[in-house]
Amino acid sequence: MARHLFDRVFCGSDEMFAKAEAEVNKLAAELGTSAPMVMPSTAYFLSCIYAYIGKKVTTVGELQEALADVKAMMLREPRTNSIFQSGVGTAIAAEMIEACKYARDPAPYGEAGSPDRKYWGHMTDAEVRELGVPLVTGDIPGFVVIIGPAPTTEEAAALIKGYQSRGIFVFLIGGIIDQAYEAGLSMGFPVRVVPVGQDIWAVGHVISLVVRAAMIFGNIQPGDCDGFHRYTFDRINAFVNAFKPVNDITVACGAGAIKLGFPVITNDHDDMWAVPKSLIIYDDYNDWIDTSLEARGIKLKITKIDIPVAYSSAFEGEVIRKADMQVDIYGAKVDCFELVQTKEAADVEDHKIEVVGPELDELEVGSMASLSYTIEVAGKAMQPDFEPVMERKIHAFLNCAEGVMHTGQRDMIRIRISKAAFDAGFRFKHIGEILYAKIKSEFEAVVDKCQVKIVVGEEKNNELRKGANKVFDARDERLKSMTDESVPVFYSCIMCQAFSPSHVCIVTPERLGLCGAVSWLDAKATYELDPNGPCQVVTKERCLDERVGRYEDIDEVLCDLSHGALEHVTLYSLFEDPMTSCGCFECICGVEPCSMGVVITCREFAGMTPLGMTFSEMASMTGGGVQTPGFMGHGKHFIASKKFLKAEGGLARLVWLPSELKEQVKDKVNETAKELYGIENFCDMIADENSCGSGDPEELLTFLSEVGHPVLGLEPFDM
Amino acid sequence: MKDWDRLITVEQMEEATASLLENAEKVGADTWQQRSKNQSPHCGFGEAGTCCRICSMGPCRITPKAPRGICGCDVHGIVGRNYLRFTAGGTATHSDHGREIMHTLHQTREGGNYQVKDPEKLIRIAKEWGVETEGKDIYDLAHEMAEIGLMEYGKPFGHQKFTDRAHPHTQELWDKADLRPRAIDREVVQSLHMTHMGCSSEAEALIHQSIRSGLADGWGGSMMGTEFSDVMFGTPKVMDTEANIGVMDKDMVNIIVHGHDPSLSEMIVHYAQDPEMIALAKSVGAKGINIAGVCCTANEVAMRHGIPMAGNFLNQENVVLTGACEAIVVDIQCIFPALGPLSKCFHTKFITTSDIARIPDSEFYRFSAETAGENAKAIVKMAVENFVNRKPELVNIPNQKTKARVGYAVETIKKTLDGVCNTHVDEMGTLKPLADVVKAGVLRGAVAMVGCNNPKVRPDTAHIELMKKMLKNDIIVVVTGCSAQAAAKAGLMDPDAKEFCGEGLKRVCELVGIPPVLHMGSCVDISRMMILASDLAKDWGCNISQLPLCGCAPEWMSEKAVSIGNYVVGTGINTYLGVDPYSKGSSEVTELLQGETGVKQWCEANYTVELDIEKLGDLMIEDIEAKRAALGI
Repeated sequence: MARHLFDRVFCGSDEMFAKAEAEVNKLAAELGTSAPMVMPSTAYFLSCIYAYIGKKVTTVGELQEALADVKAMMLREPRTNSIFQSGVGTAIAAEMIEACKYARDPAPYGEAGSPDRKYWGHMTDAEVRELGVPLVTGDIPGFVVIIGPAPTTEEAAALIKGYQSRGIFVFLIGGIIDQAYEAGLSMGFPVRVVPVGQDIWAVGHVISLVVRAAMIFGNIQPGDCDGFHRYTFDRINAFVNAFKPVNDITVACGAGAIKLGFPVITNDHDDMWAVPKSLIIYDDYNDWIDTSLEARGIKLKITKIDIPVAYSSAFEGEVIRKADMQVDIYGAKVDCFELVQTKEAADVEDHKIEVVGPELDELEVGSMASLSYTIEVAGKAMQPDFEPVMERKIHAFLNCAEGVMHTGQRDMIRIRISKAAFDAGFRFKHIGEILYAKIKSEFEAVVDKCQVKIVVGEEKNNELRKGANKVFDARDERLKSMTDESVPVFYSCIMCQAFSPSHVCIVTPERLGLCGAVSWLDAKATYELDPNGPCQVVTKERCLDERVGRYEDIDEVLCDLSHGALEHVTLYSLFEDPMTSCGCFECICGVEPCSMGVVITCREFAGMTPLGMTFSEMASMTGGGVQTPGFMGHGKHFIASKKFLKAEGGLARLVWLPSELKEQVKDKVNETAKELYGIENFCDMIADENSCGSGDPEELLTFLSEVGHPVLGLEPFDM
Repeated sequence: MKDWDRLITVEQMEEATASLLENAEKVGADTWQQRSKNQSPHCGFGEAGTCCRICSMGPCRITPKAPRGICGCDVHGIVGRNYLRFTAGGTATHSDHGREIMHTLHQTREGGNYQVKDPEKLIRIAKEWGVETEGKDIYDLAHEMAEIGLMEYGKPFGHQKFTDRAHPHTQELWDKADLRPRAIDREVVQSLHMTHMGCSSEAEALIHQSIRSGLADGWGGSMMGTEFSDVMFGTPKVMDTEANIGVMDKDMVNIIVHGHDPSLSEMIVHYAQDPEMIALAKSVGAKGINIAGVCCTANEVAMRHGIPMAGNFLNQENVVLTGACEAIVVDIQCIFPALGPLSKCFHTKFITTSDIARIPDSEFYRFSAETAGENAKAIVKMAVENFVNRKPELVNIPNQKTKARVGYAVETIKKTLDGVCNTHVDEMGTLKPLADVVKAGVLRGAVAMVGCNNPKVRPDTAHIELMKKMLKNDIIVVVTGCSAQAAAKAGLMDPDAKEFCGEGLKRVCELVGIPPVLHMGSCVDISRMMILASDLAKDWGCNISQLPLCGCAPEWMSEKAVSIGNYVVGTGINTYLGVDPYSKGSSEVTELLQGETGVKQWCEANYTVELDIEKLGDLMIEDIEAKRAALGI
């Protein structure tokens, strides 16, 4: 007689638990129970245990104690609750097995970036946070966990690339990883194909990422199992593809996945039990992608673009090295620019793509080219204010093409096109095709007609560039004049509520969204494009306190949009009802009590701050739509705003920045400080990990005194 | 598991009823609560089924001292005859309802009072019956089908056409045991004939005919009632409505429709939406016209129009006791004669409409298919004009109201299940997703809860408590009739009631977008459940009797319920009763109905009677688990 699904889950979870028990006990015998148990770069301990059981594991002994909690989840009633609980317990046991490796070595799979790092293993909080924006925008429409070896290497590669080309984030477990290496696929977090681990217990890392997303973005509290299940079921579009043979232990993991809301698709018929929308048995694995997307209810935003290479957000992080490039277009060396211009409808011929000058095949391989493209749009609802909004999207539009790399903006763009893309038939005109298709689809409410003019050649672009710069200068003037006081309204942005249900951003000209992706103009454009969409007008007529930026009308909107979770917010204060964060903020600032200043750190910086906390640890203090006075997530550009911590004295409070971030914001910060306080080169007064690397506040104070930092003359915070 | 907080408990409903009984006291009205006390204790001979008054030599009552009647009939013959007569009453009632529907179908015409709203379904049934449909006007086809359907009642030869729909194995069993019903009227008449003085006294023959008569109802008269109501009024679709006494609105003209035949209620609903009537309502100071249903009429109009359900069988007096009921309009079956005197205590108009149900102290409007529109309009108008007669000091509408998602005909269930199919893998339009989810154990099985209220059982408690028990054990519940309203009143038809279920059922509800208790219609619509079971067995690849499902009527009271029970068991589904069917006086009859040798041998299913509701629930779960074990799942 066939073995029933329930028996298989129970056997598999017993197996996983036995392995965990053996590993943990061995570890305890080896290192002693008081040995530290730390997962790297996370503020969430062993996150599966933290999330589902509510316990912070910091020592091997605590890990050992948690075994009993997991055992208690292994229910054996003939009811779905038992297989669900056992399935989740199996995932936690998997995390424990993997954690044992980290107890012995902080980088058991090799250091990040090391070529020896065949398996990715644990993912850091920073990596989880990076997913925020693309998840919200739909650039990552979902996640797939592929388990097992595919029948052939070619089929493995085809499946992975198929998902990648649809923007689906891919996690690989088991034999398919070797197949992916064999097929020469480029892998890693940035290209959204992560070879997690060889053994099935690597799923612990994936579930760890999932529960941290729930804690970071959803403010789900540790121990609130129902909250985690609801969050993953409603908001994390993940699913599993498992190649046969699927053993009991994998079936048990599958039960956990299904409990979380992630359907499993397999080609194994042996003792397998179909459950609609949850466990799908299907032999034709060439059709798994569409089957899986349908099973998880994932609808892809598809824009048909007529180009000879793949187009997906998965290629956004692709780097094209010098040796691989067909052409290099670089505004710092030759005349280049990108520009969006509003025209009269009669002056625009829809879908006209014009290349003036030589095409790509007329240029030498590896040469530097001067190139510009001007996108001319017309539409009844088009406003010149939308031009920069569209321009900022060009980076994402072009980067998504496989074999095309784009950085920078305006006349400082850099574009590389790979030899492979060229060989596939990619030409300059295809840049036009991409821009046309994306502008038309993403801005369809305001763009009726669109044409693209691409100009190649130093001579022509030299003149054109001067004209473009005049446009940019005029825009900058307008932006400069645009202050919180000069505009009639602000905008709310709840784009993140898909993941962070109670967070609300109030976007003003001098305070862009904390993700760094939504400026006041963006919010305005978003509102005009979709008046019922995520950005709404917020009036600012009933000011209650100008110093901290408190408005009665803003509070009303906040209360409404946060579904009553939040009642008050200020625009300019770190202490009084600070603005909440969703979790995908670029930077976080936190109060430094010795100097009465603030430190800011950013996602890219993994090191320690003078608060004795890393980015992950500081970030875990807030996020998920919670107000934490003294901590606040924000965008990079907000640092140089005159409204930054205005209520607490402004930029003069800033005492520490990671050097990389300091470099990025230096010019603007210096300019603002000069204007506000008359201080030249203010950035030199701000400490960083080089001048103050120990994380010791005394060292920081000494530095600040030496440079005469203005914070020392400010009143203490009114905490 | 924490109980889901929006659920309304029986205690809360009883409090609401208590406040209405205060109204009754104020006006000196009589209520069933009091009459039930007056009638207790009930006659022990009657309850055991051992009293015979079929001829005038008696009445004969069987005791140890007098083991036989005057004619010599023993207790088994007497109990068996009583049981068969009870059944025949139910079969006649349901089937006559079906017959009325067929007559109405015969009156349909383009632009008329009654029309064909689901021509596809008509054509589908016509093809099933071998009737040529090509190139035929839909109304010509409707009339032809009506005549053929009416012949099912009296045709001299052949069996019920709809029995050909049943699972092949079920048909085999019927033929083998000579249980496949012939003309409906013949089965009823033969039942009466067999039970006449001096005819059958063999328990086995009497129970055999009881089952066949029941099958003539379920696979004959009731099925025609259901199927052709769908043809005329539309096959139910999923819709959201509300339930419980709070659906009555103190600012509106409240018209309560009560009874069973949708032909009347459909018209009332139509004219209540008439702008002229609404304007009239406003002119008398009401905000509008509010229609709400009681009993199976409520089910019919809720399933097709989302009309709210004010209550079930034992709530029929409550709606009048609110003092806010302008008219209670009734057709047939389950109508308390008490409504006559009760309505006189208030301003309420009690309107009877059918020659089948003539009741003292009512106003009679003979309702016929030809004049249905005029009749309905006149009734609505009278109700509206009655609004001014309301006595404000007597108005008491308890604030109890739940959300309910209803409308699960078999067709709708299949369509809903398509939503969880994967277009790459699965076949659409089947019950296979349901079969799969039960095979995998995510759901343990299904229970069909049906039937009435009965003062012998604390009203609604058995329905609601059993349902809760099933839901917590991952057993999905399908309901009809007054059981459906009990579920709706409690809040179990709110999709959010998934929170109350076991993990498996909860997940199914979330994925499919259904409440855990599926409303399949009125009591004639138990025929839908027969099709569901039969199609499920076909899609599963087993016999109906092997499926992990059972039927349950924990608070039943009417003859119809016994007829229904007989066809449910006769279709191969074990059926659990919470009230004894007047059969306990005979060990032979009890064995034939509940043992291994009678109906179990013929149809592979039997009855279980258990008055302890908790035990009844345990027995159903055991039954379902045993069926699973036998299937190796």
